[in-house]
Amino acid sequence: MKLLEYEAKEIFINHGIAVPDGVIITQPEEMVLHLHKLGPEVVLKAQVDVGGRGKAGGILMAKSEDAMATANRLFGASIKGMPVDKILVEERLPIEHEYYLSITIDRASKQHLILFAETGGVDIEQTASLRPEAVRKALVHPLLADVPPFLLRRLVGNAPKEIAPVINRLYHVFCEKDALLAEINPLVTTPDGVFAADAKLIIDDNALARQGIHVNRDQTEREREAERHGFSYVELAGSIGVIGNGAGLTMATLDLIEHYRGRAANFLDVGGGAGRERVTHAVRLVAGMPEVQVIVVNLLGGITRCDEVAEGIVDANIPQKVIVRLAGTNEEKGRNILQEHGYMMLDTMEEAVRAAVEAVQ
Amino acid sequence: MIFGARDDGIIVQGATGTQGAFHLDLMNDYARGAGGRGVVAGVTPGKGGQVVHGVPVYDSVREALASHDVVTSVLFVPGKAAGDSIMEAAEAGIELVVAITEHIPVHDTAKAIAYARTCSCSVVGPNSPGILSPGEIKLGIMPAQLFSRGNVGVISRSGTLTYEVVDELTRAGIGQSTVVGIGGDPIIGETFVDVLDRFARDPLTDAVVVIGEVGGNLEEEGAASTDLPIVAYIAGKSAPPEKRMGHAGAIVEGGEGDAASKIRRLEALGVPVAEKPSEIATLVRDLL
Repeated sequence: MKLLEYEAKEIFINHGIAVPDGVIITQPEEMVLHLHKLGPEVVLKAQVDVGGRGKAGGILMAKSEDAMATANRLFGASIKGMPVDKILVEERLPIEHEYYLSITIDRASKQHLILFAETGGVDIEQTASLRPEAVRKALVHPLLADVPPFLLRRLVGNAPKEIAPVINRLYHVFCEKDALLAEINPLVTTPDGVFAADAKLIIDDNALARQGIHVNRDQTEREREAERHGFSYVELAGSIGVIGNGAGLTMATLDLIEHYRGRAANFLDVGGGAGRERVTHAVRLVAGMPEVQVIVVNLLGGITRCDEVAEGIVDANIPQKVIVRLAGTNEEKGRNILQEHGYMMLDTMEEAVRAAVEAVQ
Repeated sequence: MIFGARDDGIIVQGATGTQGAFHLDLMNDYARGAGGRGVVAGVTPGKGGQVVHGVPVYDSVREALASHDVVTSVLFVPGKAAGDSIMEAAEAGIELVVAITEHIPVHDTAKAIAYARTCSCSVVGPNSPGILSPGEIKLGIMPAQLFSRGNVGVISRSGTLTYEVVDELTRAGIGQSTVVGIGGDPIIGETFVDVLDRFARDPLTDAVVVIGEVGGNLEEEGAASTDLPIVAYIAGKSAPPEKRMGHAGAIVEGGEGDAASKIRRLEALGVPVAEKPSEIATLVRDLL
């Protein structure tokens, strides 16, 4: 789950990473008490989870006396379709230079990957293509609690050596917060030291509970409901509902729909042991999307009992057409139950997908 | 066989849980049919002394190893404790851990795999359906009735999609030497490179099917590392960017790891890539 900038900055402060003085507000009046502490010029930053926030008008500069009017304007704006309900108001830093710093997990080496670039404030991909010599990388072994000094020296190079402890502190944040990405872009130097002008943290969804996060904001309400039932669920834009077991098989089902020029409405992986009730929940959840005209159920597995799945589909009793491909134990029983109730059961996923695409044409 | 042997002793970590107990029994059914030793002990902390489907349960891996000759562990321990269990097995001297568990925090996995390496312990998974060498050994949860013995290896990031492909291969008369589910997580122990290297040294394997999906670039890395004849399939061609498609590792991030670029790179290496799962068997037959 992505944290908002102000949430990430609170974590940074607790780990000794300096951030600009600032205050989070939900209405313009709340900044009155704080403005005098923030200097003659302030930066107003909409706390919305969108990429390219600055270019989309989500970051505005203002003189202290104009800050209220600017905040009013920003609260009324929509940034790439997202309403603004929180603004981070910060002092404007006297920036000398901007750098880039990030930490991720590198799949190939299975180590933590630190990227540091002498050019910040822009995409790292852009710097990497224009000035590859300005980007430095270091891999840190996951059993190390600190970034070793020799790696810090290698990363920082000729940049101010005060940056080295910031890298190590961000590494602590990365490890302690179960982050998949920790990024400071830009990391800035000023006459008063090194500051994280921006902050980005993405927390591992599998570690949210132990990080004390109980609601995954990245999910829609229907996606959250799906997770409560133990499903993996992603909403898409088409009209063919999809239910599969296993992520790979479900993805392959979506790909086949696209291959036959149909459009899937969703991805739903019911997970292991698809029993009667789980199947009913899954079918009802997908049928509840207004765009869905037909549902493909593609279940395969040695331990999946086809008669139970068939009963689950019948129990759901939904208005849309359901096309079923089932393979497992008790296949014949399952087929009979479905046929008795007027559902179509086919032998292969390709036949099922083609029937579904034809049904919506 | 590229992992283990028929007469290897196996333990199940998390043997008293529903899934662990259920699959322990199925693994032992398979071992009886193949004339192997199967699961000789279970481990669940705090449940020592219990018996699951005739198999004794111990409180720790060390205790199990004191009474049994074991080289492999199949792990069903829940996500939050699974990293610790992998390390426990490695420290006790287990040579291979097959981690079935899904939803392990990725930092735990990275630590556990790094630690296991210091103990010379290989890890398959996590989020893996396991390993099956038809007629020899079954480690994990794969439905054995779909498999047939032959000379084609299969490596996959998926579970059920693997069964789909194995079923198609078997129906087409193409048997399998060993089928390995390397797991759907972003950080996994044995990667395509490692398993292809094992297949290259396996006299029973003449060609390999690589079943990949969106996320990362380990499929291409694997294909570039081997001289073995390969057929590939990549799932997730229709996956939208920045969305996790069921598997923690199946995500197109920052414009990387999308299916189209993977397929392009595989084809540039001369690897035939199936457009649909049903084409895989035909492409394999062309190679053999």
